[in-house]
Amino acid sequence: MTRSRDYTDILAGCVLVAIGLFAALYATKNYDIGTVEEMGPGMFPAAVGWVMTAIGVLIAAPAFFRLGEMPRPEWRPAIMVIAGVLAFAATVDVLGMVTALMLLTVIAVTADDKLGWKGALALAVGITVLATLIFRVALEIPLPLFKWGF
Amino acid sequence: MDLDVVDKLVIGLQTAFTLHNLMYCFFGVFLGTFVGVLPGIGSLVTIALLLPITFHLEPTPAIVMLAGVYYGSAYGGSTASILLNLPGTPSSAVTCIDGHEMCKQGRAGVALLASAVSSFIGGGIGILIMMMFSETIAEFALEFGPAEYFALMLLGLIAASTIASGSPLKGIAMVLTGILVGIVGTDVNSGAYRFTFGSNELTDGITLIGPALGMFGVTEVIASIRRLKSGAITRNVSMRSMIPSRDDMRRFWGPTLRGSGIGAFFGALPGTGGVLASFMSYAVEKRVAKDPARFGSGAIEGVAGPEAANNAADQTAFIPTLTLGVPGSVVMALIIGALLIHGIVPGPRLVLDKPDLFWGLIMSFWIGNVLLLLLNIPLIGLWVKVLAIPYHILYPAILMFVCIGAYSINNNHFDVILVVVFAIFGYVMRLLGFSPAPLLLGLVLGPLMEEHMRRALVLSQGDFMTFVNRPVAGSFMAFTFLILIYMIWTTIKEARGTTKRATSRTDSPTGRSAADVDEHVGPRHG
Repeated sequence: MTRSRDYTDILAGCVLVAIGLFAALYATKNYDIGTVEEMGPGMFPAAVGWVMTAIGVLIAAPAFFRLGEMPRPEWRPAIMVIAGVLAFAATVDVLGMVTALMLLTVIAVTADDKLGWKGALALAVGITVLATLIFRVALEIPLPLFKWGF
Repeated sequence: MDLDVVDKLVIGLQTAFTLHNLMYCFFGVFLGTFVGVLPGIGSLVTIALLLPITFHLEPTPAIVMLAGVYYGSAYGGSTASILLNLPGTPSSAVTCIDGHEMCKQGRAGVALLASAVSSFIGGGIGILIMMMFSETIAEFALEFGPAEYFALMLLGLIAASTIASGSPLKGIAMVLTGILVGIVGTDVNSGAYRFTFGSNELTDGITLIGPALGMFGVTEVIASIRRLKSGAITRNVSMRSMIPSRDDMRRFWGPTLRGSGIGAFFGALPGTGGVLASFMSYAVEKRVAKDPARFGSGAIEGVAGPEAANNAADQTAFIPTLTLGVPGSVVMALIIGALLIHGIVPGPRLVLDKPDLFWGLIMSFWIGNVLLLLLNIPLIGLWVKVLAIPYHILYPAILMFVCIGAYSINNNHFDVILVVVFAIFGYVMRLLGFSPAPLLLGLVLGPLMEEHMRRALVLSQGDFMTFVNRPVAGSFMAFTFLILIYMIWTTIKEARGTTKRATSRTDSPTGRSAADVDEHVGPRHG
């Protein structure tokens, strides 16, 4: 095993410090802090931000002195699943629910390699039918099935 | 409103027995068993997926349904534990040890029956305790001022985010992140837009739905695709194979009753709940048994005790949630979120002023538990088949629920984009060792805490001692302080003992299987 610092916790601490500092400074700069008796809109977020920054330092600091591993993301599932949901978001307003769901399923299926293209299409049809039955027929939510353009 | 016991029960039964509520109760427990059986998806994910649907329902059937999913999954969870040695839900993890051993000896039917019946008894005792103590607690809580509520919520948050989590500091950090997310939107006191960055959609704030769907729906899918193997099994379970021997019957009652007591106690406390209760029950049974050596090789006590415990805990978890408005776990936070969607603030007023909702819910628990008994004994063959559904068919369906659910709130794709943002954030944080559950707790409780803190400080003219001086608030603060001390102590102890951990692991009361189970459960159910 190669010597490596505990990058997971170092990164974790850095993320917290970044969010915490941003919240604290942004709130202090843009919102009224007020006084303790009459708290302004900025006081609570600023306080939360500073505590987060402190916790971030507490997590990252000791991690520099111990061994650990880099986190290993699963790129393919992450990218394909996110891409599928984004495709749904991009098309649902314009083309309607059916097209958006077909796109979502066909893209998301490629996150895994267990289904071929025939299986993917069959699953997409099945899921679209299921969604229509649940949301349109049973719950009677008025979602447009098909749309053409704006 | 002064009602005697009979009036309340009648009101409850009238509410629970309307066709509409019965239907949603059945739907909830059916779905709960379904997802409980499936190792890849649990009650937390399912409730997150159903949250947008509750927008379109009345509050009572909405909560009846969500609650049914919750306690129903504890019934279904043991089925996967027994048949596959894979816990369907984290609180059924300990059932694997002896349950699966019984299955290997050809006694799967007996184990499944013991699990269903002890679940029913545990659930029933939990409901009885809820019926007895809820109003007393609610009446006591009527006296609470803003300082008490702030202290109580702080206690709930700290307990829920630190006790059961791997890294207490990371748990607290996620709570704070959730509080920040809750701040986004229009400030109720000053009308200022906070952290909206010029976006119109954000001025209404971020509801629970985007983060819940993103972090429990999409992030879970990403993390599970490569990890989950589908459980192909051919074994069938007949009703005949369920008939227990006289020896089984004799060994069944003690653990079930003790487990119910343990579960009812830990369920009502914040931060503990079903997982801890089931492990405690197992440890207790092993200690009181005449021949502890039988544990690990198919002891029925090791199934009955923990299963009674986790069901009792699931029911008593509703006590603090409904009487005080303080959730002890993230599932309870989602239930509170669903009530808030309908403008109902859980707390003592709900219990005392809305008997139809409160007692209707309790009566629906009874109906749901009877339905679950029927679903889990005669229909067990159906659930055995459900176990074989592969995850690569399941996850696109989960994504469908996420997308349509988010979109249906406002018919606006902005809500779907919000889901994506939280999915990416959730995945990054997960890789860095954070659990998403505390974020939702912070998101639900954050706005309430800020409000209570402001009011308390206005009343005390800026004196922070108001959180310590008042006896009730002071004792909540003292408990919080004790938990923090305990947390620091265990963190230091663990940091010193990391090198020795490999040897000490096998000595834990639950032994090897519990450690194995940990890997499958991971942080995904929070």
